[in-house]
Amino acid sequence: MNEYPRYNWSCQGMANFCKGTFLEQELVPLGLCLNCGICIYKWPKSTCVVMEWMYLMGLARDNAAINHFEALFRSLEDINTVLEFAKLEKKDVKPVVQSVFFSPELDNESYKLLEVDESVLDSILSGKQVVIRGDEEDSAVLCTDDKTYDIKEADISNAMLIIPDLKVGKDLSNVGEQNAHITQVTSVMHNYYELRPCKPKVKKLKSLLEENKFSGMESENDESHQGQKYTFQDLLNLVQASEIEIKTALDKLQACHIEGHWRVLDFDFLSQVLNHIMRLCEENDWLTSGIPLEDCCQTLEELFPRSVLEHVVHCYGDSIKPANKTDEEEEQMEIDRITHRYVVDTKFYNLNEDKICRFFAELVLRHAGKFNFQEFLKVWEQTVPSEMKTSLHQLEGMALIDRNCKPEVIWYFPSENLPEDVGERFNFLFKTQEKWTLEEIKPYISDLTTEKMDVGALLTKYARASLQNGIKVFNSRKPVT
Amino acid sequence: MIELQGSLETRQPVPLSGKFVGDLHFTQQKDVPILIIGHHILYGKCMDLEKPFAVLVKNSSSNAEESAMDTDKTPETSYKVKAIIRKKLLFKQRPKPIIANVPKKL
Repeated sequence: MNEYPRYNWSCQGMANFCKGTFLEQELVPLGLCLNCGICIYKWPKSTCVVMEWMYLMGLARDNAAINHFEALFRSLEDINTVLEFAKLEKKDVKPVVQSVFFSPELDNESYKLLEVDESVLDSILSGKQVVIRGDEEDSAVLCTDDKTYDIKEADISNAMLIIPDLKVGKDLSNVGEQNAHITQVTSVMHNYYELRPCKPKVKKLKSLLEENKFSGMESENDESHQGQKYTFQDLLNLVQASEIEIKTALDKLQACHIEGHWRVLDFDFLSQVLNHIMRLCEENDWLTSGIPLEDCCQTLEELFPRSVLEHVVHCYGDSIKPANKTDEEEEQMEIDRITHRYVVDTKFYNLNEDKICRFFAELVLRHAGKFNFQEFLKVWEQTVPSEMKTSLHQLEGMALIDRNCKPEVIWYFPSENLPEDVGERFNFLFKTQEKWTLEEIKPYISDLTTEKMDVGALLTKYARASLQNGIKVFNSRKPVT
Repeated sequence: MIELQGSLETRQPVPLSGKFVGDLHFTQQKDVPILIIGHHILYGKCMDLEKPFAVLVKNSSSNAEESAMDTDKTPETSYKVKAIIRKKLLFKQRPKPIIANVPKKL
């Protein structure tokens, strides 16, 4: 009420009408009525006389207007009468009384309540945007900079009355004159939206990027390369994950930023590039000294785009920390790496043995179907550069070995192609193989883990453990469908 | 925010807007909120919300249309966070009736 402009309007008319019943000074102008611009007076004794007066003066024309005025007039006398009926003592309650009214512009539709946790609240309060992402057919997902949440609607039978500037007991003092405040309910809600932290739904990213794989500049105009290409902004709108999560996923998919679009490299093309790089390494004996990125790119620039070369070296090599760099500079390089802004400054890379060996294993197994395990080991040994050593842990999450059949076989089983949903994932895995050891299954489910649920907890929930020849194995809890 | 168990209805199906709900008092001693609605009295308590609510208001549609024309894509809808609600007064007990016409002793 206090914010209403004071209006110096003579209350002569009213005083005349009520002559004898009260003194003019007793009327306190409160301000202008928001609806009709008429000055509102507070008269401490009762509202009814005022109402009657307004009626006679033709100010209260219809029921709505009367309601409206009634709403704005709630005298202390009325309040105290009710208090007395309620057998409450005036001295037991605080002097400030808040009379609750529905706002004349009561609107239940335009507001939505969203339950937020600390981290979302922080990003809202710090002025950042949170985004609801996804295609029309996806369920709604809310993303902050680095986290993803499912949005679920919750209905409750309780009524939630939204009242701005409502005072609670602590805000009000125990002393002072009795005073009535008008508070208004702006809307009544019966539902709100909950947020549940969820795994980023990045599987779609892979299928989007695979619509048009990159296999060299010269084949860009081929019929097979006319599929949709995506910029980072496009991906943000289509993939239900936060910016940072999408960047991580792009990194994991080894996607490359080529001419403004994010692309995955066609496998055959990738092997070409990598072969050229390796040959160059052998010629110059870079395997031991490290690859100078700049020289490498200059030599091969005619064959492949520079961004691709840098990308491949980066994916399959580890940058060597020069002795004279400080930690801060190193951090900056790490940031550049994440944002894929390559620094021109010549950097040295060592090819990563595990990654290279893994790549060659993939090359061998990819189109092979089931492969005799012993034979595979031999072929694999021969394909990798002579300085590198193969090891079975390099195959984790990419290939499965069946040691029970004679002869032992190995086949290509990449973890990227598995369903994203936990239930479906386990179903698919147990359909592929009835029993798994912990080492076998771990790489295929480790991406499903959350803060609350590690691999062990996932297995307890979705699998049954048993002993087979003294080794713990897991099989499905449910019948596999 | 005030949370009531159940919902408020009028006897006649008239819009609630502009109507009087009730008086909200707080006791001197323990700050217990008391809400008097009609001839019912409700005792409640003041609670901090475990997770605060953000009050969202959809941005006016004219903006959305403009941006739709600019980009030729599906219109972007945005919501503005108008307020954060951290506290509520919860009235979950059964309302007690007030009996008005008890003759007063003289």
